[in-house]
Amino acid sequence: MTTIVGRTAAGGDERPTSRNWTARFRARLGRVVPPDQLLPDRQPAYVRSWIYVFGALTLAALLTVLASGLVLTVGGATWWHTSSLGHFVNSLHLWSVELFFAFMVIHLWGKFFMAAWRGRRALTWITGVVAFLGSIGTAFTGYLSQSNFDSQWISGQAKDGLNSVGIGAWFNVLNPGQMLLWHVALLPLLLGLLVVAHVVLVRRHGVVPPIDADTPTGADNWPEPDESAEGGSR
Amino acid sequence: MKGSYIHWGVIQISVTNLVIIVAMIVVFALAILVPFPAGHVDDEDES
Amino acid sequence: MTTTSASSRAPRRDRTPDSHTFPTRSYDLVKEFVLALGVVVLLTVVLAAVFSSPDEKPITLADWAANAPNDVVATAAGELAGTTTSAEYGAPYNTAGSGQLLGPLALQRWAGVRIPVDSAKDLVIAPLQALRGDPALTGALDRWNAATAGQRQSWAATYADALAAAPDGDASAVPADPAYGPVPVLAASFLRLARTGGLEGALDAKGNFYGGDTTRGLLLLTDGAYLEDQARARNLGGDQWGMMNETGNYPGQPWMWLYTFWYQVKPFSTSDNADAQVWALMMVLSVGLVLVPFIPGIRSIPRWVPIHRLIWRDYYRQHPRR
Repeated sequence: MTTIVGRTAAGGDERPTSRNWTARFRARLGRVVPPDQLLPDRQPAYVRSWIYVFGALTLAALLTVLASGLVLTVGGATWWHTSSLGHFVNSLHLWSVELFFAFMVIHLWGKFFMAAWRGRRALTWITGVVAFLGSIGTAFTGYLSQSNFDSQWISGQAKDGLNSVGIGAWFNVLNPGQMLLWHVALLPLLLGLLVVAHVVLVRRHGVVPPIDADTPTGADNWPEPDESAEGGSR
Repeated sequence: MKGSYIHWGVIQISVTNLVIIVAMIVVFALAILVPFPAGHVDDEDES
Repeated sequence: MTTTSASSRAPRRDRTPDSHTFPTRSYDLVKEFVLALGVVVLLTVVLAAVFSSPDEKPITLADWAANAPNDVVATAAGELAGTTTSAEYGAPYNTAGSGQLLGPLALQRWAGVRIPVDSAKDLVIAPLQALRGDPALTGALDRWNAATAGQRQSWAATYADALAAAPDGDASAVPADPAYGPVPVLAASFLRLARTGGLEGALDAKGNFYGGDTTRGLLLLTDGAYLEDQARARNLGGDQWGMMNETGNYPGQPWMWLYTFWYQVKPFSTSDNADAQVWALMMVLSVGLVLVPFIPGIRSIPRWVPIHRLIWRDYYRQHPRR
């Protein structure tokens, strides 16, 4: 009888022709990110600038937004109007959102000027920008969920923009019940999936090399070094 | 009730928002310019 | 140093080397993230403690009645006359207006009336209908319900005009006139109902115990002038870059700068279809931002504005170009 320990050591049953869905799924997941790159403890030596911390800061701010939001859900939608603790938690939520957007935009500026979409990283850029736009939409439903003067005015104004292109017929900003549920359930879920995809893609492809960087000497990778071609980088 | 706003031609912006935007640009510039602490001498390796 | 150029036969391709082939340095991803989290939590707590967050009370319909009673009466008359914003809106509330156009596309109308609201009936008559014990009101309602649409419109529009001409729009300065029909009684009763604080419930609950959908109350409130006056006093108006702003000195939404910018300039600032046009323009620009890696010129900006040479200065110093 094969023991689990013995099979794991032998690499399990991950042949592409295996009929075992679990084994094939496991193999597929294993190929998403190179081995040891999901949580690496080494990084390319060219990663040496403070600009690189802004992705992590953005993610940290997002977690703070989610945590403060979760505390608000414990108290309920109108808790913060009558409780000073609730109001403080609301303040945490507001300021973590401001920090989230600030760090995210600085991260975007950095990634733009590094042309970080190079080397098959277009999807990393795309998921990042879609997450940015999705964050704006998520924040918007948050502003609509304040149950105060702000919500009244913002909903009254926003309805005109959304109605003008037909969206308002389904997405009713005057309906706080709908807006709150979008804000705490639907949109954070979609955003979370985008963020996970974005981070996995960064781990998969690695941090983009400098513009015009040459393949390190002696490395064996595409494209093939061509001694006879014109010199210099493009 | 009403906050402080700066008017410049067609542009109107709250002082707070302006401070935030300027701070972001300053932070971006610092992130680019401030040297990142060098790692340990024996850290680099040809892997 | 060996150069790495694709042979002249190969098409121009991205020659970015594989990042996994470069020399590495040890670093601690988890420690960096924990530090980042600590910094962010600390910053958040300090900012929240020092600056707090805004919470201006919503305007109740009773507040509106107390602070701007003439506006309430004028709005009620306008709803009955079919001249308010909501009454003439079009989709998704009714078919009274054709809605905005995006070039030849009538997107607003095509979406259909999916949130039906009859401004006169739903916003004014129905809440009044539920009141009992006021013979004058009951009589006025009976007269209104028995009249033709044309008669109703004539009564209400004539009264609305008289209110607009009166000093301060004050209904008490408008002498009785049969040309107004039952509208003055209806409008005055509506103001009394608003003052009781029961109007929101009458509008939004729609017979249900649980409300939660404030569509009708907000349509009524935005039909009046009071809400907008309060908003403009706080720089929240559409032509005041209001989309970016918050009440008081609190941080707003700086990331909305480009969306609200278009509303401040022609042709959008004077266009009847500004909302649809600005929305479409921002959609195009957003798609453009998503697809930057594929847009010639835009994707080359990083090369022309060489901030990257500062970011990677250590690398470029160690690997000078020939």
